[in-house]
Amino acid sequence: MRKIYLLSFCLLFVLQIASAQQSNVKLISGNFQQATIAQFVSELESKSNFHFYYDPIQFDSLRVTLQVNDKPLEAVLDMAFKNSDFHYAITPQQQVFLTKGRQIRTELASGFMQATPGNAPVKQTTTVVDYTDERDKKVPEATTENKLYEIGAKTNAIKSGNATLSGYIRDIKSGEAVTGASIYIANTKSGVATDRFGYFTITLQRGRHILNVRGIGMRDTRRQIILYSDGKLNIEMQEQVNTLKEVKISADKVANVRSVELGVTRLDIKNIKQIPTAFGEADVLKVVLTLPGVTSVGEATTGFNVRGGAADENLILLDGATIYNPAHFFGFFAAFNPDIVKDIELYKSSIPEKFGGRLSSVLDITNREGNKKIFTGSAGIGLLTSRLNIEGPIVKDKTSFIFGGRTTYSDWLLSALPEAYKHSSASFYDFNLDISHQINDKNNLYLSSYLSKDKFRLNSDTTYSYSNKSILLKWKHNFNTKLFSLITAGVDRYQYNISSSANVVNSYNLGFDINQSNFKADFTYYASSKHTINFGLSSLLYKVDPGTFEPNGTKSLILPQVIAPEHALENALYLGDKFDVTDNLTISAGVRLNIYNYLGPQTIDNYALNLPKAAVNVLDSTTYSSGKIIKTYMAPDIRISARYLLSDDLSIKAGYNTLHQYIHLLSNSTSISPTDIYKLSDPNIKPEHGDQISLGLFKNAKSNTIELSVEGYYKRIRDYLDYKSGAVLLLNQHIERDVINTQGKAYGVEFLIKKTAGKLNGWMSYTYSRTFLKQDDPNAGELINGGAYYPANYDKPHAFNFTGNYKFSHRYSVSLDVAYSTGRPITLPIAKYQYAGSERVFYSDRNAYRIPDYFRSDFSLNIEGNHKIHQKTHNSWTIGVYNLTGRQNAYSTFFTEQSGVISGYKLSIFASPIPFVNYNIRF
Amino acid sequence: MKLYCMTKVAGILVLIITLIECRKPYDPPAITAVSNYLVVEGVINPGADSTIIRLSRTVNISSKITANPEQGAVLAVESEKNASYPLTENTAGRYVSPGLNLDVNSKYRLRIKTTDNKQYLSDFEPAYITPRIDSIGYNITSVPDTGLQIYVNTHNTNNSTRYYRWSFGETWRFHTKYISSYISNGFSIVLRQPDQGIFYCFASDSSTDVVLGSSARLKDNIIYQSPIVHIPNTSEKIEMEYSILLQQYTLTPGAYAFWTNLKKNTEQLGSIFDAQPSQLKGNIHNVDNPAEPVLGYVSISSVQSKRVFINNNSLPGAWQPIYPYDCEVDSPGTQGPSFLIPQPNNFVPLSVGGGTYSTRACADCTIRGTTKPPPFWK
Repeated sequence: MRKIYLLSFCLLFVLQIASAQQSNVKLISGNFQQATIAQFVSELESKSNFHFYYDPIQFDSLRVTLQVNDKPLEAVLDMAFKNSDFHYAITPQQQVFLTKGRQIRTELASGFMQATPGNAPVKQTTTVVDYTDERDKKVPEATTENKLYEIGAKTNAIKSGNATLSGYIRDIKSGEAVTGASIYIANTKSGVATDRFGYFTITLQRGRHILNVRGIGMRDTRRQIILYSDGKLNIEMQEQVNTLKEVKISADKVANVRSVELGVTRLDIKNIKQIPTAFGEADVLKVVLTLPGVTSVGEATTGFNVRGGAADENLILLDGATIYNPAHFFGFFAAFNPDIVKDIELYKSSIPEKFGGRLSSVLDITNREGNKKIFTGSAGIGLLTSRLNIEGPIVKDKTSFIFGGRTTYSDWLLSALPEAYKHSSASFYDFNLDISHQINDKNNLYLSSYLSKDKFRLNSDTTYSYSNKSILLKWKHNFNTKLFSLITAGVDRYQYNISSSANVVNSYNLGFDINQSNFKADFTYYASSKHTINFGLSSLLYKVDPGTFEPNGTKSLILPQVIAPEHALENALYLGDKFDVTDNLTISAGVRLNIYNYLGPQTIDNYALNLPKAAVNVLDSTTYSSGKIIKTYMAPDIRISARYLLSDDLSIKAGYNTLHQYIHLLSNSTSISPTDIYKLSDPNIKPEHGDQISLGLFKNAKSNTIELSVEGYYKRIRDYLDYKSGAVLLLNQHIERDVINTQGKAYGVEFLIKKTAGKLNGWMSYTYSRTFLKQDDPNAGELINGGAYYPANYDKPHAFNFTGNYKFSHRYSVSLDVAYSTGRPITLPIAKYQYAGSERVFYSDRNAYRIPDYFRSDFSLNIEGNHKIHQKTHNSWTIGVYNLTGRQNAYSTFFTEQSGVISGYKLSIFASPIPFVNYNIRF
Repeated sequence: MKLYCMTKVAGILVLIITLIECRKPYDPPAITAVSNYLVVEGVINPGADSTIIRLSRTVNISSKITANPEQGAVLAVESEKNASYPLTENTAGRYVSPGLNLDVNSKYRLRIKTTDNKQYLSDFEPAYITPRIDSIGYNITSVPDTGLQIYVNTHNTNNSTRYYRWSFGETWRFHTKYISSYISNGFSIVLRQPDQGIFYCFASDSSTDVVLGSSARLKDNIIYQSPIVHIPNTSEKIEMEYSILLQQYTLTPGAYAFWTNLKKNTEQLGSIFDAQPSQLKGNIHNVDNPAEPVLGYVSISSVQSKRVFINNNSLPGAWQPIYPYDCEVDSPGTQGPSFLIPQPNNFVPLSVGGGTYSTRACADCTIRGTTKPPPFWK
């Protein structure tokens, strides 16, 4: 391409001295059958005096089939390029310039030279690019690959030194920000990725650069710039309509090797939708379970365990809002609408400084922005759920909204059950409404809101319901090209309610809720080409109502009982620097200072030192007034990671981080149940903390289409809460007497291979990992397994996963998902005896045995409607089978007494092949 | 969310659900650990009734033996004030004492010395006088199954304890599928005499589930319609007349926690959100080795009993019992009725001369009960 421009520049000078002579028209005859450009041109050159100039790469797809008899060259070329994007320009010097996409002007712009009266003014055509008008644009919308954009104040000679380029990358069709797109400068081997708003900043040497731009689901593109001084450039990218080769797992093909983080996986909704699920609806949480280092206790749980952490040690964020219960319908569905979700990012090891408050991982779920240009939407119909999504501009190119809703009609399903289950009911819904507004170049506002509710009744008169609500306002402000801020304020609420009316005397309402007001200010400062500094603060105000128990109805004799609400303030300040030490070595280091205050009003029991926390050891109790700081826990989190490039496609990375957690889920069931409660750290319940060291080797192969990685880690967990046998967790005024501090250790090695391009793509992982817990606090009163280490519930040493998608054509693809893991540990009875008229069992040490190994394979076929771009609706079908082999995987085994005899049972969920079908429509 | 595995799948709808959850029998891997822990069961009765303590040993889970009594131990109830009341073994592993008539203002414990010279002590527990049972009644239920839900009402003006446990014995009159009017006397088939009737019988059973109740969360110490046992409408127990004898005990909070845990660990497992099974800690300890597991919880509580009768004619007429065996009436055919004569343990002649017959399960109630009415039967 560059050749053409140089040539055309030279020509401009030649032109003015050349006389506008009209050469004798030579007529051409010829017969071309599927001729390549080279054949076509050489034929024409041999039959005329013209010389052709073109870029062979641009014309590699051109095949000319043409028969001409005695036609002038213009006519031949007109016919050859008819209905195509190719153009030609013929100079009087019998030079022919062939171009793609636009025509070259062979004369100077009209009025450029006053002294050329012979030349008639050239008619401006839309396909002809005017090269003279670009300097006055405020922020160029750089849509063109071959155009040279001038950034900053133009100077005659390019100054030495660096300048900063910043801007947004957006989808040309919807105006939506492209998150995680990478900009890579080939000649300096430097690069950046856009943030969640599509914003990027890069510091470069002044001068000419080619920016290679890549984004998830976007067509690769590039921009040419001349950087004179600091400036802005907005880049618009085209959606990848042809997804045949380009389904990417990582936003950046080189990120695997080049990013400084370890243990970070980003998945785009397209990948998520490829993975078969039990009811056919894409599930953002189930896909997390296919990643190495992530396990769960079984099918019917949305709780997941990351590198040996408990299920409550994951921070689940939906556009920045904390979601306390991410599951619908007993955990069979994730509470996130797949039509709204844009991508998810799971941090297992290198957790950025801006996140904190959980011990194991951060799952950051980002919703799409509404289409800023046109109204669109989609709908999906499944066997159990339906969903609808509508989005569009409120003010074109400035303000847009996106709305999504889902609901279930599962009651028909329950009513189809045998009599014993007919009286059950279950329903849920969730809604998202997000609005984004661009105030001006420097300011953007984002409002996101979320509501989910579940209600179910199982064969009884007890009704359970729970709900998540959150609303969040974000303001993004760019101070200049190097500094920008994101201010977030919002409220999150999780509540549940259990009510029973079966027995008039004992009818009750039991309620729990947690309210969280949050404020965050995050700043990013691109200090220089070597330093990117993140800093900010976060403030969380908790109010937890641990339980209100009230009579339901006038005849109820229930004694109202309200556990005093808990208040706490969790503040954090953080500072981090990503430092490119050399071309090969990058270090990211940061610290997050956590300051946690447990606040009044509250009455706290003071226990005798070094004695079990029991009623007999209470010395006295202290009552604190409202707002009074009862206890402060202050601790720094350290986050360090480093990457060293061994070669262009091989790097080694290491990381160390520490984390603290001040809110604890109290659950003594195997999986998270909807009625578990949260407890804040107080003077008697210490915060959990932990640290992790990790090391990894990352390699890309086959021009970055295959990513390989090996990561090892060792992790320590301190003061995780476990429960004494027979602990009462609900409506317990003195929960500290029923809990025991547990210490944990986890280690493992994860192998991952991903194929990101081609007809077959997907990933395969193998993980060896162990997780052990122990209780050795001499004051606990009673010790599990005598204070020795025992495997955690989710300790599954061997885990293998394969997730693959094969595209036969643009319309048909198949997905296969295979999962194998060691069975999880269980506690089995080792003895039996007669007691209270029946056989009873005595259990072994905790988790001394294992259930049988787990294996499942799922298959789905995705059928896209036709690929015409211009049609009213686009349809697609997904049909498939979950648990293809019908293996009856044990969810748990248990021993229970019936008619005085103890028998063992195995409980399986999804114990046979489950077919599903889903219909989706986009409009 | 308990949906059982279904073998017959009619249509896609049911198919989908069937599949959510399913229970199958499970044999755990062979557990070889030898267990021989002491089990202590019983209540020290501070009133005029006798105190019965059963001692046994645990057996391996795969063992065929279920009862493993601990014999020859020396047991005594001790008070805080150093009084001691010995118990004597009357049958294997069953140690009794007649009415102790204890002072309820003191606390008591149980001392056990086994033949291998190990000393065990229970914790001192307060003595409770159990309140009277106010009434026993029933509700007709449709959820989860159609049937009879028997409940208890009680109250205690003394607010000292709000935790209760019940055990019960059931007795019912039932009949077989077919009436046998003839009997083999070993030589021929003769008319059955009235005292040889095997159509009506009485059967009895005792509670196997742990039944607990609490008024701890109520304003008053009232137990209202606390469920005791559920009888499906197809049960033979209620086809004629049914009687239940309920025993009521009071518990300390610690004892209530123990029983709740026992119930959770052995009766309430198998749902998705199960509590983890845990080791059961009672209030009995080896004096020299506190780490040795000793199973059981010794409470000090008097017992209140009450018996009620429920007659079938007060229940919905549409309820039909399901006979527990497949039955049919046969005729001897070519081999002649004489083949019945030497087989009184297999077949029962029904009609004259053995012209028709059926199996004992279908015509002889004595294989499942007794024809003699129990002494309390009205």
